[in-house]
Amino acid sequence: MMPRPVNILSRLDKTVRWTGIPAMLAVEMSDAPSADRKHQPLRWIPIWPIAFSGALFILSLTWPSTLNVTALLMLPSLGVVILAMVPMIHMSGPLGKPSLEDDEREAALRKDSFLFCLALLACLNCLGQPVLMILSHLQNWQVRSGSVAATALMLNATLFGCLPTLYASWKLLRVPKE
Amino acid sequence: MSRRQLAEAVGVNNQTIGYLERGDYKPSLELALRIARHFGVAVEMLFSLERFEPIAMTLKRAGEDE
Repeated sequence: MMPRPVNILSRLDKTVRWTGIPAMLAVEMSDAPSADRKHQPLRWIPIWPIAFSGALFILSLTWPSTLNVTALLMLPSLGVVILAMVPMIHMSGPLGKPSLEDDEREAALRKDSFLFCLALLACLNCLGQPVLMILSHLQNWQVRSGSVAATALMLNATLFGCLPTLYASWKLLRVPKE
Repeated sequence: MSRRQLAEAVGVNNQTIGYLERGDYKPSLELALRIARHFGVAVEMLFSLERFEPIAMTLKRAGEDE
């Protein structure tokens, strides 16, 4: 077998191997039998990004002057960063991972979690959009509506990323050891 | 037989076997049949619509019959 050529990409791989993240990802993305794989319930961690995004949204509604243009540009970036981090801690594995190795209970739990999340997001958006429209009309919003829209987008993205994990973690009961 | 061995034999996660033991998860017909086939018994021996009586009660009754 020919040795693999050492190129810039493999050198870059080596520089981050010490973090253990590539090994974790390789395990998560493998098609190996899943009898030994344990999902770690994350009951509190997902609450932090949700609380942070919710607080920013409320802040943008109540004190819009505190969020300047820089913050406005940073918010979507922060949302992307949070979304990028959540798959690493997602109890059902990465969001984009094919779930072929999930067994029937895990697949049902994953489906329940996403259905719950999507239903809640749909309700919140259906209620929130008219409220925002009425508020913008009553208060004659102009520039500051941008910050509200940005924080609302961030809240949506964070809820979509974290809520399934939160729901599944609280629904998952602890199994006593053998 | 450990949970892990049974999980590997029927192709599920060992946590799923734990939930089945506790009665917190209702398996699909396919999984129930696979488990029954693994033990070589009828599926009604392992799963029932009514709660199974505790093993201690069964043993006590068997002792009284003898």
